[in-house]
Amino acid sequence: MKLMRTCQDVTRLVLESQDRRLRPLEGLSLRMHWLACSGCRNFRDQSRLMRQALDRWRTYRDEP
Amino acid sequence: MADQPLTDQAFAAQVEALRPQLLRFARSQLRNDAWAEDAVSETLLAALEKPQGFGGQSQLKTWLVGVLKHKVVDQLRRHTREATVLTDEDGEDLDESLFDTHGGHWRERPQDWGDPAVHLGQRQFFEVLEACCDQLPPAQGRVFMMREWLELDTADICKELQISATNLWVLLHRARLRLRECLQQRWFAQRPGPA
Repeated sequence: MKLMRTCQDVTRLVLESQDRRLRPLEGLSLRMHWLACSGCRNFRDQSRLMRQALDRWRTYRDEP
Repeated sequence: MADQPLTDQAFAAQVEALRPQLLRFARSQLRNDAWAEDAVSETLLAALEKPQGFGGQSQLKTWLVGVLKHKVVDQLRRHTREATVLTDEDGEDLDESLFDTHGGHWRERPQDWGDPAVHLGQRQFFEVLEACCDQLPPAQGRVFMMREWLELDTADICKELQISATNLWVLLHRARLRLRECLQQRWFAQRPGPA
């Protein structure tokens, strides 16, 4: 597995991290990429915001 | 309003009053009106079998939503084949429009969405989120909702729908990118950027 990844690859990993635990090398390659790429940092933050939003939405839907 | 035990008549009225909401939940999950109708009817039938079992409306709703989730999975299991057919829209690969083909770089750099608390504090934001979820193509919408609303893990979803893990990753990946795109257009692009 390679350490340096493209934005497309990083995006896929960020999305997959919501459904599975990433391997250490995958996690490391994300960190390395984020150091250099503000677009992917924004995408990471967007996906965190969506995560929080969905968690809250679920509760709001389920509760009376 | 205090939660008090219900009379039979009040109970019937409450069940009736909650039905539209349950139908909306079931439709957003199942993307098929007939299946949604069945899931909700089965849920309400189950409630009618134990009218004395509820303390009041809030307890009733919590119970109904819990049962509905199981009935929704039953429907998906019963209609596995139809539920996993991909429409053209489901099959569309968003990566091609987001990234350049050679270097895998963003064609358009993702924007800074700003402080989550600002958005998550607004009721309208959740209305847009819900509308965006409803707009996902059918197969993507089903797996996405199984994951996010029913909170099933990926192995269970694969088992219930009899699809491979790879197919599931692809569907979830596309659903999440679409949801992001929709939120970007319908919410974040309408608002001034972070200061």
